[in-house]
Amino acid sequence: MFHWLEKHPFFFAVAVFLTIAFAGLIEILPNFAQASQPTVGTKPYTTLELAGRHVYIKNNCMGCHSQLIRPFKSETDRYGHYSLSGEYAYDRPFLWGSKRTGPDLMRVGNYRTTDWHENHMKDPAAVVPGSIMPAYRWMFKNAADIDTAYAEQVTVNKVFNTPYNAEIPMADGTKATVPLAATLDEAKAAALEEAKVIAADMKDQDVKDAVAAGQVPEIVAMIAYLNSLK
Amino acid sequence: MDIGTLQAYAYFFFVAFLVVVLYSYIYHLYSSQWKGKRDYEKYGNIALHDEITDQPIETISKNDDKKVGGINE
Amino acid sequence: MENRPLEYDYTVAKWFMLTTVVLGIVGMLVGVILAWQMAFPAVNLMAGEGLAEYTNFSRLRPLHTDSVIFGFTLSGIWATWYYVGQRVLKVSMAESKFLMVLAKLHFFIYLLVVVAVVGSLLLGISTGKEYADFEWPIDIAVVVVWVIWGMSIFGLIGIRREKSLYISIWYYIATFLGIAMLYLFNNMEIPTYFASGGIGAWYHSVSMYSGTNDALVQWWYGHNAVAFGFTVPIVAMIYYFLPKESGQAVYSYKLSLLAFWGLMFVYLWAGGHHLIYSTVPDWMQTMGSVFSVVLILPSWGSAINMLLTMKGEWQQVASSPLIKFMILASTFYMFSTLEGPIQAIKSVNALAHFTDWIVGHVHDGVLGWVAFMIMAALFHMAPRVYKREIYSKSLMNTQFWIQTLGVVLYFTSMWIAGITQGMMWRAHDEFGNLAYSFIDTVTVLHPYYTIRAVGGTLYLVGMFLFAYNMYKTMTSSRRVEESELQNASPMGA
Repeated sequence: MFHWLEKHPFFFAVAVFLTIAFAGLIEILPNFAQASQPTVGTKPYTTLELAGRHVYIKNNCMGCHSQLIRPFKSETDRYGHYSLSGEYAYDRPFLWGSKRTGPDLMRVGNYRTTDWHENHMKDPAAVVPGSIMPAYRWMFKNAADIDTAYAEQVTVNKVFNTPYNAEIPMADGTKATVPLAATLDEAKAAALEEAKVIAADMKDQDVKDAVAAGQVPEIVAMIAYLNSLK
Repeated sequence: MDIGTLQAYAYFFFVAFLVVVLYSYIYHLYSSQWKGKRDYEKYGNIALHDEITDQPIETISKNDDKKVGGINE
Repeated sequence: MENRPLEYDYTVAKWFMLTTVVLGIVGMLVGVILAWQMAFPAVNLMAGEGLAEYTNFSRLRPLHTDSVIFGFTLSGIWATWYYVGQRVLKVSMAESKFLMVLAKLHFFIYLLVVVAVVGSLLLGISTGKEYADFEWPIDIAVVVVWVIWGMSIFGLIGIRREKSLYISIWYYIATFLGIAMLYLFNNMEIPTYFASGGIGAWYHSVSMYSGTNDALVQWWYGHNAVAFGFTVPIVAMIYYFLPKESGQAVYSYKLSLLAFWGLMFVYLWAGGHHLIYSTVPDWMQTMGSVFSVVLILPSWGSAINMLLTMKGEWQQVASSPLIKFMILASTFYMFSTLEGPIQAIKSVNALAHFTDWIVGHVHDGVLGWVAFMIMAALFHMAPRVYKREIYSKSLMNTQFWIQTLGVVLYFTSMWIAGITQGMMWRAHDEFGNLAYSFIDTVTVLHPYYTIRAVGGTLYLVGMFLFAYNMYKTMTSSRRVEESELQNASPMGA
């Protein structure tokens, strides 16, 4: 039998494939049957937050920052409650990262503010002396891609039934709803409203002017996303 | 039976099965050498005598299974 | 059958040798820039404020990982495939027009993909998954390249003269199948442009999996991309090149077959070790841990087999720099396949995860094992494909020692950095408060980051020596006869 396999490249390949596919079959597939359930209080992202998430990915923030708090005292002391599986239910892709050159950001929204991020992104070492993080000044100039963020919302709503426009139970017993705009124009208008709230807390005059003129700079979307991480 | 139990059973039996296969493979490798059926070590020479003019260690002969895995015409 | 052409056709092997060298230099150059940026953040602005977006650490980092993995290593794998494949199957590419066209197509589509990848990563177009950063249009092109390679493998096997498949071919087949499966499943994504009826960027996509499931699939992929990109095909190389260069058949062919099946079965389970203490189910984390430790056996099975192949022939290690490269490679293979399982033990992982120790582990594997083996393979192939002796043996020796020193500096500094950082993160003072703020654990690493950057730079210098030596071999070295090419490669002073 063995020798036969060695002489028949096609069946040999099948045998190799079965051997290597086995782990995936047992480990991964069954888990998908029970699709990950969101924890109470986990909401899908708004258009602006999602655009910010895209800025986060575009600049590969997860190369240096994790979003995964492990269940150790030292980590929960530093970053807050350890991560729960359901908290990631609407994260496509997941952004756990694999290296902490900088601190974890899973709950950064709990302890950093809009103006802290604004100053920090402009000049990290001025806010945190000794920081080796580069500055991200171009985020103040580039426009965020609201269109693509909206397209992604529509996609996940349609394909994965991500609960937009639906009541979501919150931790305090109330219900919350994350709206999904019916058209792109409505989505842009809604994102701009959100952006105005953020920009009101910022000092950069160019950013304020841009938002007043109906544009959304990347930094505004980015801060909206970071503030949503709780 | 829930999916977790099923996973565990599938896992256990497949691993047990593969262990048996692996050990019988070891047995096969050595026994074919003792019985003089085939010395696997000779295949090591494929790398050493690999000029296109060298004689293959084992030639594909015409009457010896014609369809090799459906790939060799 | 009898009208045999006289020679193997190395056209495509030569092309891939070229991309191996070029992309190797690109990938490692970017790596060295990153290393200096971490030691001295001002380097982020090396091209001025205007270009900072494209020269800063975070934008360059995927370019480094992807060009080393998918540029340097893949090119190396294919260069050796188009060389070793023909030889151990005893059939020339020239015998099949179809396979030749396929191989050329393989190369040119690959080049296009490389260009697309470099461009898109610099622009920040990314799916956000490590080593699977490419958006869907590039993914499709990658699949095309892969299918062509598969056709090339099985096509060549189909017209072979050697009935038995040499162990290296087993490993190449496994590389093909493994990466095909992993890549396809991990890159399942939905283009938002089409799903939303034409809104937004056309190239953007969203992952089919969410959160924890996405992480599970990603690290099942991420770890095994290492398995089937950095281990399996490199083992394929050493099983051919070390015996051929030394003139010694593999010490135990039977062991090589056993190690193969062992590796195939065990490796895929080990991916879970990237997710220890995360939110994936406990039993998978434990499984990842256990299998990572078991993985030592098949890995060492191959590595020891290689060292024993040199039994009674150790003088060759002293006399031939080429053998040195390969022996050091298999030593580093043993070393990093011991280090990896140690890091996968839960309690060690609690300390090591997220630190530079992991970075160190990756690099002693890639610089010490993968890159050394690929360079050795290219050195062995050069005289045979160009019919010239290797330009300079002393240059090879110099390169060997410079790079070895580079690797040693790299992993020792990263060990210290990683363990220091891990210990500081978890340190509590007498009142149970955290002893250090995060920034303390960053500034303390400065000396180690500097040493690492020096180590990386040394390695890059070695790469330039390698490129120069190869270039001279190709263009102006002494021509050699077929008879000189039996085993040990001819080398000039």
